[in-house]
Amino acid sequence: MVDTPHTSGTGNVIDVEAERKSKEAYFTAGQYALIWARFKKNRSAMAAGVILIILILMGITAPFLSPYDPNIAGRDADYQNGAPQIPKFWDENGFSFRPFLYTLERKRSAATNFRWVTEVNKDQRRYVQYFVKGWKFYILNIDLDLPGDTFDFRLKALPIDTHLFGMDKGNIHLFGTESAGKDIFSRTMFAIWTSLAVGTIGVFIGFVLALMIGGVSGYAGGWVDSILQMITDAVRTVPAIPLFMALAAMVPDEWSAQTRFFFISIILGLIGWPTLARRIRTHLLTERSQEYVLAAQLCGASAGHIIRRHLLPSFSSYIIVDLVISFPYMVLSETALSFIGLGLKDPVNSLGVLLQNVTKVDVLLNYQWYFIPAGFFMALVLAFVFVGDGLRDAADPYSGH
Amino acid sequence: MLQFSRFVTMRFIMAIVTLLMVSFIVFSLTEMVPANCAERYLAFKNTQGEQITVADIRAEEIRMGLDKPYVIRWVNWVADVLVRGDLGTSCILRVRVNDLLGNKFWISLGICLASLMLAYIIAIPVGIYSATTNKPGLNNFLRFISYLGLAMPNFLLALMIMLASTILFGDSLTGLFSKEFREAAWSYARFKDFLGHAWLPVIILGWSATAFALQTVRALISDEYGKLYVTAARARGLSGRRLLWRYPARHALGPIINSLGFDLNRVFNELPIIALILTLTEAGALLLESLARSNDQQLAGAIIFMLTASIIGLNFFTDVLLAVLDPRIRRGIMGSG
Repeated sequence: MVDTPHTSGTGNVIDVEAERKSKEAYFTAGQYALIWARFKKNRSAMAAGVILIILILMGITAPFLSPYDPNIAGRDADYQNGAPQIPKFWDENGFSFRPFLYTLERKRSAATNFRWVTEVNKDQRRYVQYFVKGWKFYILNIDLDLPGDTFDFRLKALPIDTHLFGMDKGNIHLFGTESAGKDIFSRTMFAIWTSLAVGTIGVFIGFVLALMIGGVSGYAGGWVDSILQMITDAVRTVPAIPLFMALAAMVPDEWSAQTRFFFISIILGLIGWPTLARRIRTHLLTERSQEYVLAAQLCGASAGHIIRRHLLPSFSSYIIVDLVISFPYMVLSETALSFIGLGLKDPVNSLGVLLQNVTKVDVLLNYQWYFIPAGFFMALVLAFVFVGDGLRDAADPYSGH
Repeated sequence: MLQFSRFVTMRFIMAIVTLLMVSFIVFSLTEMVPANCAERYLAFKNTQGEQITVADIRAEEIRMGLDKPYVIRWVNWVADVLVRGDLGTSCILRVRVNDLLGNKFWISLGICLASLMLAYIIAIPVGIYSATTNKPGLNNFLRFISYLGLAMPNFLLALMIMLASTILFGDSLTGLFSKEFREAAWSYARFKDFLGHAWLPVIILGWSATAFALQTVRALISDEYGKLYVTAARARGLSGRRLLWRYPARHALGPIINSLGFDLNRVFNELPIIALILTLTEAGALLLESLARSNDQQLAGAIIFMLTASIIGLNFFTDVLLAVLDPRIRRGIMGSG
């Protein structure tokens, strides 16, 4: 792990001193400092970490980054199934510091057989503007509509209407538009946010369940452990996606998109716990019989004290790693569910919802930009997998580097 | 031998217990779907123009045995499935689930097992090779492929292949049978036609299984390869393929056989989605249809149960196989039994 010191004999005194200091720092470093030091050495994991942070930031700042409302309210009726528009800095008419697009003109005349055609007017430039005022997004916008009236809850507050970029005239669609004219770029940003949110809620619920079941099983041992393990194994044997499908099919059609969203996340968590529960149990079972626990018990420490001060710190880093590793599975499951139409539905934008329409032959042949969100989806999952693997290697003191 | 048969019996009983637990989970699931079978069916009749009263629904419930308590209905269902192999009646279609599924289930199982086999045929040699050579370029490439296998879910792969084949060949490569064989009885020609179509789902389903298996095999072999017994064998003059096959490969075999059940689980996960994209008409698609469109809980429950039962069956089989193959486990059974 630590580089073996160079014993070159006539070593410079200052060098030796610095080396001693760095070794000292290494030996006295806390657990998380060590993990971070090892993680930093893993270049692919670091690169994935940067990409992951960028994607998370994109998700969080989605309302600011999106020039248009991702839902039907923000549709561009004049540019349906439109191709991506990439801003230019330069063309045969000269250079401009401010990126620009051409003006599209819709015409019909005898020349076009009286059909509407879109023409590009290269002489009329439209310029990209920054920090423009646009559509309003409410940060606090809760619309809970459960069956029955007592739990209904509505709140709209904290609007944002400044967006990173926009056009002086007309619209800009970086990733094109879909059949209703909704901006795919804005939808993708919001979809990243939704997928992250679903994953977070799912992982959290799965984690709480796993901690309870795995914790009881591991700490109690004996027949409690045997029974809980049998149940865990039984749940693990059922293929998850068909099970998700069966559970998701129970959602009544009249539920609002947001209620549906919470329900789907909860289902993901309810099914995702067994793997984590098993790991927590195994950790607890091995740690519980270690000498330091016995020593603490002999010193008269209470069970609660031992769990809090000795057992939890001993595997908290593993739990964090496990959570990161299980995250992409949540995102994958949500995407698969939404893709087949049993998960989230249209007003909510998730990566699975965005991919729903791509199986149509029409799309396959003519509108390939529908596939752009798939790239973001793959980047998100890959980044999580790489970071998770890097963390796992870094958290394991015996991983042979 | 006696102890071995005792082990097999014990393991079989455990499999049955797991099966019972799973059946309880699945049965509870079908029960949680709002509205029961009688109401759903009669509501369907209602849309056909028949007048339905509450009394009709109650009568139907009694006829179907829905008035009995939950546990008793579960016991009846399980007994029917396990003893007579009768999966019950579909809620909406009013046809026996066995007739509906027919050999569709076996076709899907065949496709899944074939893709699993394909995965290991590729993964074992390639994984062993990559674990034992130290070509960083190759290893990084394989690692990337493995990660891609996870990050690019099979449905995306299927979409890409469809996209490519629509553009290149003008044929979207969907379905399991050509038109003329769809309803025909099994014959050699139909089987050939089936094979001509089935290779694509097999490859697509095998894709992420291969990526996972590759990673597992590589990790296992490279773990074993650094161990002292390999060094010792090398010191005795063994090298190359003989060393590899005699020691590390045999050690790694156990965990691989053990993981087969979960690999099948993973393949089943992809099945309904692939079935949707490639418009396959087998159990996966039927499951999707029963859930998404008609909300037919009896049929869906039966399919999930059958899928899980085949995983449990495979787990049982691999455990017995492992006991036969691995002398350590065999001794464990004989010794303690």
